[in-house]
Amino acid sequence: MAEHIQNNGITTGNEHGSVRSYVIGFILSLVLTAIPYYMVTEQLMTGRTLLLIILGIALAQMFVQIFFFLHLGRGPKPLYNVIFFGATAGLIVLVVGASLLIMDNLYRNMSPQEITVRMAQEENIAELNGLSTGACQGNNANHIVVISSESVQPQYIEASRCDTLSFAVEDGEDHMIMFGSYEEPVSYGGMYDVIVRSDRSKIITLNEVGNFTYHDHSNPDIIGSFSVVEP
Amino acid sequence: MNHAPTRDEMTHEEAADDRTMFGFWVYLMTDLLMFAVLFAVFAVLLNSTDGGPGATDLLSPQIALINTVLLLTSSFTVGLGLQAVTWFGLTFLLGAAFLGVELYEFYELIHHGHTMQSSAFLSAFFVLLSTHGLHIAAGLLWLGIILIYVLKRGLTRSNVRKLALLSLFWHFLDIVWIFIFTVVYLMPFTGV
Repeated sequence: MAEHIQNNGITTGNEHGSVRSYVIGFILSLVLTAIPYYMVTEQLMTGRTLLLIILGIALAQMFVQIFFFLHLGRGPKPLYNVIFFGATAGLIVLVVGASLLIMDNLYRNMSPQEITVRMAQEENIAELNGLSTGACQGNNANHIVVISSESVQPQYIEASRCDTLSFAVEDGEDHMIMFGSYEEPVSYGGMYDVIVRSDRSKIITLNEVGNFTYHDHSNPDIIGSFSVVEP
Repeated sequence: MNHAPTRDEMTHEEAADDRTMFGFWVYLMTDLLMFAVLFAVFAVLLNSTDGGPGATDLLSPQIALINTVLLLTSSFTVGLGLQAVTWFGLTFLLGAAFLGVELYEFYELIHHGHTMQSSAFLSAFFVLLSTHGLHIAAGLLWLGIILIYVLKRGLTRSNVRKLALLSLFWHFLDIVWIFIFTVVYLMPFTGV
């Protein structure tokens, strides 16, 4: 019963559609499915580049299907459909993009691990919900770093975990010390920055093991580093 | 007739069909917004596995590829069905096969104790996938009913209009699936 629906003369939304259009769309879609699948399963590359490529290919396939299957925007009639689709696409970019941005930011600044380490640093809480936070107890060695307008002295410090690090200034100004490099800030003990006043030193507990660098926020060329090992 | 009728040339019935198509299009766009929100939820919760297995441990791109080809082919046969209605029968079978594979995947996960309650990631996964699956099931039911009508009464004007709406719906579901395939089944394996 291969009757031709179009012979009824009804506007089916595909009056410009032909078998050829569907075949082209089908083949293109198959290709645009196979490429990202192959790239991901064969691990041709990884990371952000791959993610952007497969998302780009998915978008391309969406437009292929919109054009060859839905025939959106072809012919004089369905222009309002296109406008409505464009408005929806804008809303989606806004909702999805903003959600990801907000949640990523929230996670970076308030992930459970970050909060725990920070509480261990600031409040010296040794245990939280029955889990050890890594906070240090008892007196340990203190290392002193003196910050001036040209440099930090000493530039490198080797310490054991639970030692303390004192920042002091000698040029009579407040300094903001940030961990990591100027381009790529990292957190130490849940903190991204330490503010050292000109009139008193600032002490932090070295509760996180590893190699770290820090710099003066107002003068990123002033760089120091320290490494913390398990005692 | 080598051009689409403009508003002035449409009969009353054609204009009514036109309005119906637009109304359905508006519904599809609102549905798309709902899916967008579910995608955002999934992306945010992707790594919230509560210490349990994550996407790369549980999901299989191979199964997803099978489903992608099934649904894509069914979307293709919908297009052919608008030329010759028999093709809709194949659409129905492919759609049912898609649903079968998806239910099998769910069964395997739940059977091994990975349910909606296991972690935020699995909640997001099941909600997104089953929302799409329910749309497919509804589409199959709708298509089945239309095909019964077509068998009983032939290709009347109202049946053709129903088939045209269904084809829009089905293409739409396939477009949503492209993003499920990419975001749910491929993205976690990129290592980002």
